[in-house]
Amino acid sequence: MPEYIEKYYTLKDLWKSVKKLPSDRKYLAGGTDLVISLSCGNDKSSVWLDISDIDRLKEIKEDGKNIFIGAAVKISELESNPLIKKWASALSECVKYYASPSIRNTATLGGNYANASPCADGVLALAALRAKVMLNLYDKRRVVDILSIVKGPKKIDLKKDELIEGFIVSKEERKSIFMKMMHRKRFGIAKAGLCMCYKLEKGKLRDVSISLSSVAPSVVRAKKTEEYLEGKNPSKAQTKACQLIREEISPLTDIRSTSDYRMRIVSVFLSRALCSI
Amino acid sequence: MKKKELSLDKDGKFDISFVLNAKELKVKISGDETLLELIRRLGYKGTKKGCDTGDCGSCTVIVNKKATLSCIIPAFLVDGCEVTTIEGIGSISNPHPIQEAFVEAGAVQCGYCVPGMIMSTKALLDENGSPSDEEIKHALDGNLCRCTGYVKQIEAVNIASKKIKK
Repeated sequence: MPEYIEKYYTLKDLWKSVKKLPSDRKYLAGGTDLVISLSCGNDKSSVWLDISDIDRLKEIKEDGKNIFIGAAVKISELESNPLIKKWASALSECVKYYASPSIRNTATLGGNYANASPCADGVLALAALRAKVMLNLYDKRRVVDILSIVKGPKKIDLKKDELIEGFIVSKEERKSIFMKMMHRKRFGIAKAGLCMCYKLEKGKLRDVSISLSSVAPSVVRAKKTEEYLEGKNPSKAQTKACQLIREEISPLTDIRSTSDYRMRIVSVFLSRALCSI
Repeated sequence: MKKKELSLDKDGKFDISFVLNAKELKVKISGDETLLELIRRLGYKGTKKGCDTGDCGSCTVIVNKKATLSCIIPAFLVDGCEVTTIEGIGSISNPHPIQEAFVEAGAVQCGYCVPGMIMSTKALLDENGSPSDEEIKHALDGNLCRCTGYVKQIEAVNIASKKIKK
């Protein structure tokens, strides 16, 4: 149980005082994962740093050739925000499949990323959008590729006190397709998911990126399939691409699904995606 | 109303202030207390504890106009917020049109999920007075019912929407 809860409204205040606090401290924005972790006895931190009201972390704004999405933006905001719909439609599409409406009103995009789940819908969309993550440590920023610091379930390569400030998505006129297989039609954790962003020029695919969830220890990109699809006609490339994507993954069998089913469904998703273009 | 720091007093509690069912309250909470535990401790037992992991929706309340699962939100996060529970929208002698509609449609059997269903419906109808069936399904997505089979709840929301418009 936390002994202190420090609430911050600006990054400046956060960096001014954070080092003085006991070392077992943890950031909290929506709390939907942390509360469950606490009730299961897995969270032993003595200080929670409430960053849910820091204005910078709640921003969604244009920034030159990019858009910036703050880490404390609630999942439900992604669905209707005009900037997200225009430049990061994969994110607004993923919301339809993301847990339940009441969780979306509390959970944040930064929390979805920080939890580093292999089935994270938000991360699946961010990966296909080729987003970057902006990290901030004592007011010094670094920007890295979205998947480069995700090391496996609940493992993310952040330094002590390093804060996920937000995500950067470049403004590209690409279309997106989001697919997810669950036990129920909605409100479920993915057995497997696929997100694809692309351009179509004179019937040929360009600038393709494909991300997959629940088929590896973290969300992954299907880079060989992306390369293969570049410049191809979507329906003609379908058979080979579906074969290729199966060769790229080696999913596990677990409580939610089997390895074989996951392989098949990813290939079916890609086939459906290519047929729909 | 918001405070900068919530630190433990000598009894190991935090002070928070929030509005619960239109009443301003100042309460002491412990750091690991969820909103669900707090509101039930304050005597508002209409909000039900189901799974306690954010899966079933029976603990749904409205926080700042949004349907929220009270079992997975720490109580301190509602410091300065406005919270509405089932007790805040109607009573047995003076039920809310949504509550009347649930009874009329026969959308209540064991009743355990109903407070959560009604709060999700309230949040939906406050935002969208005439939802389509698809929008109703979307809004009630996280509220599980193991008796009625969901058709009657959709009917109930449609009846409620008409009642409120009158």
